[in-house]
Formats: sequence, structure tokens, C-alpha cells
Amino acid sequence: MERFMSETYAVEVDSVTKSFGQLRALDGVTLKVRQGEIYGLLGPNGAGKTTLIRAIVGLVAPGSGSVTVLGRRLPNLDVLRHVGYMTQQAALYPGLSVEENVKFFAAIYGVEGGVKEALEFVDLYNRRSSVVATISGGMKQRCSLACALVHRPQLLLLDEPTVGVDPQLRVQFWESFRRMAASGVTIIVSSHVMDEAERCQRLGLIQYGRLLAEGSPSEVRARAGTQNLEDAFLALAGEKES
Amino acid sequence: MSGRRVAALTRRLLQGFRRDRRTVALLFVAPLVILGLLGYLMRSSSVPAVGIANQDAGPIGAAVTSALERSSLISTSTISASDGDAKLKDGSLAAYIVFPSNFSQRAQSGVIAPQVHLEGSQPGSATPVLQALQQALASAASGAPGAVRFEPQVAYLYGGPDLDTLDYFGAAAIGLIVFFLVFVITIVSFLNERSQGTLERLMASPLRRGEIVLGYMVGFTLLALVQSVEVLVFCLAVLNVHNQGNVFLIFGIEALMAIVAVNLGIFLSMFARTEFQAVQFIPLVIVPQFLLSGILFPVSSEPKPLQVLSDVLPLTYAVNAMRDVMLKGADLTWPSLEIDVGVVAGVIVLLIVAGSATLRRRIA
Repeated sequence: MERFMSETYAVEVDSVTKSFGQLRALDGVTLKVRQGEIYGLLGPNGAGKTTLIRAIVGLVAPGSGSVTVLGRRLPNLDVLRHVGYMTQQAALYPGLSVEENVKFFAAIYGVEGGVKEALEFVDLYNRRSSVVATISGGMKQRCSLACALVHRPQLLLLDEPTVGVDPQLRVQFWESFRRMAASGVTIIVSSHVMDEAERCQRLGLIQYGRLLAEGSPSEVRARAGTQNLEDAFLALAGEKES
Repeated sequence: MSGRRVAALTRRLLQGFRRDRRTVALLFVAPLVILGLLGYLMRSSSVPAVGIANQDAGPIGAAVTSALERSSLISTSTISASDGDAKLKDGSLAAYIVFPSNFSQRAQSGVIAPQVHLEGSQPGSATPVLQALQQALASAASGAPGAVRFEPQVAYLYGGPDLDTLDYFGAAAIGLIVFFLVFVITIVSFLNERSQGTLERLMASPLRRGEIVLGYMVGFTLLALVQSVEVLVFCLAVLNVHNQGNVFLIFGIEALMAIVAVNLGIFLSMFARTEFQAVQFIPLVIVPQFLLSGILFPVSSEPKPLQVLSDVLPLTYAVNAMRDVMLKGADLTWPSLEIDVGVVAGVIVLLIVAGSATLRRRIA
């Protein structure tokens, strides 16, 4: 597959707002994610993380502001060939087997092969013939991740990818994310688990649709003057509210 | 049994409806729409149009004509016998009756023998014509001195006395069954695509909206074609439904109806948020088409405003095409069949465009 020219930033979000009726889900968010970086979006439920990810993948049209992905300003259908998206809900076809689901998404992205590697990556190769409706929630999450990366995207958007995944596999996931990032894949991952946030290279703390702070985990802790990210988040959120 | 637990369940159910205003609206609007339509159709439908060609030199032809004109079962007009068949073919008459020149003469010798020409492809229109004639003849013969035999000579332009109710409805039912089942499967499946989150995933991929709609269309159409073959074979080989036309042409019309149903299902699924709401579309979409497309009552007998509605329903054209082929033996050289097939094909294109256009809006 043709790869897009290397850009300094894989994602540039500029003053993006989005409202749903009276609710302001994104309130002037500006952030930049470098190529090959693992960027964590950290915030409580309803903070605007999913809306921001959906804006980056073109599913939400911003009310104002702009989103640029891999050097192309959205909306742009072609750039989506290089983007992998794992939704919060394990969006799979329950009547198909694990392998059939992954093969389907490979076909949608126009790639042949890579299915075995994707299934091995999520440790589901031995369960490839299982029908999705019959497997556990954690396995569904893993299958969903395989679907998101089967086409070897340059940008991978993961919306709470480790929900329901056991701790051992979660460690493996993060190891793999690091390897992918090292090979140049940009990963944006949303989470409200502080332990996972520590594994990101940079973090964006988000609440009420606004970006409260940005930086590496240590920078965020230092800025808040706290020992851990949880306290840092609470301190920064309180600071903004007051 | 705990009354409190039962009450909790009941309360839970009603609370859910309270927040699902669309379902509540459909629940109460659908029956009014359907019953209102049925009432209007039943009460306001016009009677079959019958042409009368009175060639009788004697008084009895005029007496029967006068009695027919007073009948509430039919509406009459005076025609020339030579124009009769053309008027049956263009649908302006359901039947025409000829009183031959020797009608009175024969009546005086005890035989009343009018010529009745029936169009024959529309269910239920022959009965009121024959009934009105019977009453008119009885009234005219009441003053006759001796015994009188009624010997109407009935001729059918299409079909004939051997056709039963199933022959009339079978042609329309083939299209209706395929349309109904394919519509239900498509609307529910497409809604599943949205509720299980896979549509969001597809919309975040390089897939174009038109590709999604076409992919669905082809997939469901393949299934629908198999179903169409099954329905057709069953109707023709097992039920022995009357057919004078080309089987492949019937299959082609069935296939077009299936494609309409697939695309209508995709399009309407955009306006439903839950499977429950999608199911509510069935009475609103299927029942009016069933009532108005000419399956039960000829479109020409419907009240004028409903005829306008019938004219925009794709099933009307499909039913007409099916009857033309199966009962009249029409082929694609018939202009009326070309129009019917053309309209159904046009509706397909329209629905594909509409389905593609609304896809993004509902996912965002």
C-alpha cells in the first residue's frame, strides 16, 4: 500500500468545537500528535475523548476548527486507508468467525494477507474459527483490535482498547503498541485508566470538552506538583474549574 | 407472585416508552392511518365502468339499458360496440354490454341474450357487472307475458370463467410476498449494522457511502433472487396459478421488486434508531401499498386522491406488470409494461441515491 509522505505531525487538531444540542462536547480543542508517538487522551467518562477521536477519524464534522490527518485536511476519504479505528464497543459481526471478521476488514481496506499476523498479535490465532457471538468480551475486544490493525495503518485510534482485557494480555498489548510506534505508527489511545496513561509518551488531559493540560506523564505530574497522574488530573481539573 | 415485582416490570416497560416518543407516535398513528385508509377506500371506491351498446331496434334493449343506468352497482356510458375492446384494453372500461339488433325479437320468443364483454384481469369487477345485468334483465322481463330464459353470452378479453380467486391474486401476491419479506430482512439487518457499531467502523474506513449501499443491495438481492425463484416455482408448479406470460419476465419483475425492497429498507433504516422502531415501519410502508396498489381493488375504482397516492407507489406498477404478464400474456413490446418496468427501475435508482445521501447524516 502506498504510504503517505512523512509529516512532522500525524494529527493536528486546531480549535475544534462540536456541540450536540445544548451539550458542548468539544470546546476549542487544539493539539498536535507527532508521527510515531503514543498519545493518550485521558479524562473521565463523558469528557469528550470519544467525540475527539470520532472527529479525527472523520465521523464527526466539527462545528468550527479543523482536523488534519497525515497531512490531509478532513474530510478526506483517501486518508482513511491509512487510519485504523477501534471503537469503544467491540464492533464486530457476531455471526461471522473471528477470522472472517478480520478478513472482512482487510478486504474493506483493500489489503491481502496480514490476517494471520493480526490474529497472532492479539493472541487469537488458535480461536480463529470461533464464531464471535460465542466468545468472551475480552476476546471480542482483541478481535476488534485485530480488525483495526490488519491493514497496517499509519495512524491507529484506539478508544478504550483494553476494557475487558486481562492484565497479562494488557501488558502484551502495550508492548506491541510500543513496537508499532517504534516502527513509525502513530497511536492515539483514550483511557480513563491512569496506569495505562503512564505508558503513553504524551498525554492530553481532557474534561468538559476542553484540553486541560498536555505533556509527558512526568511533565503533567510536575506541572500539577503531584506524585501520580490521578492526583495530577484532579488538581488540574480543580484548577480549571476554580 | 409478587404484585410489586410485576408492577416494577410494567413500570419499567412504560418508562422505556416514555423516552421513545417515536415508537409511541408510530404505535398510535399507524392504526389510524391504516384504518382511515381502509375506510376511505371501502366507502368511497367507485363502481366498475361499463359501456352499453344498444343496437336493439325494439323496446327491451332500451328498457334494460335504462335499468342498468339506474343501477348502483356499476356506472354506465353509451358506446359503440366496435370501440368496446379498445376501451377494455386501455382500462377505461371494466366491461361492455351489447344488446344485438334482434334482442327484443328474441326476448319475445322467450330468450334474453345480451353479449357481455369483460376485461377479466381485475379481481372482483365481473361480479357487480353480471349482478347489475341480472337485476336489470329481471326488471325488464317482469312485464313479459310468458316465461323468459336469461342466456347472457359472456366473453373475456383476458382470463376466463376458469380462473379462480387465486389466479387473480396469485400474480400480485408473488410480487408482494417477495417485496414484504425482503424489506423486513433488510431494514432489520441494516439497523443491526448500526446498533452493533459496525456501520460506524465502516464509515471510518475508505468505503464510500454508495459502496455500502450497493454492497448491501447486491448481497440481499442475491438472497432475494433465490427466494423469488422459490416463490415463482411454488406458485406455478404447486399452486398452478394461471400464467400466460414468459416465466423469465415474471422473474425479472420479481427481481426488480426485491431490489426496490432492499433499497427502501436501507433508506428507511436511517429513520429508525431501534429495531422496534424499524418494525413499526412495516404497517406504515407495507399495508398502504397492499391496499392501494391494486391487489385487492382495481386502482381505477379507488377515490381520486387515493389514485394519486397509488400512482407514486412502486408496488402499483409491479402488480400491474405482473398481472399484465401472467393474465394478459404481455411482453416487453407492450408500452404499458415498458412503463411499469421503467417506473420500478427508476424508483430503484432514486432509493439508491436517497439511501447513500442519508447514510452519513445518521452516523454522525
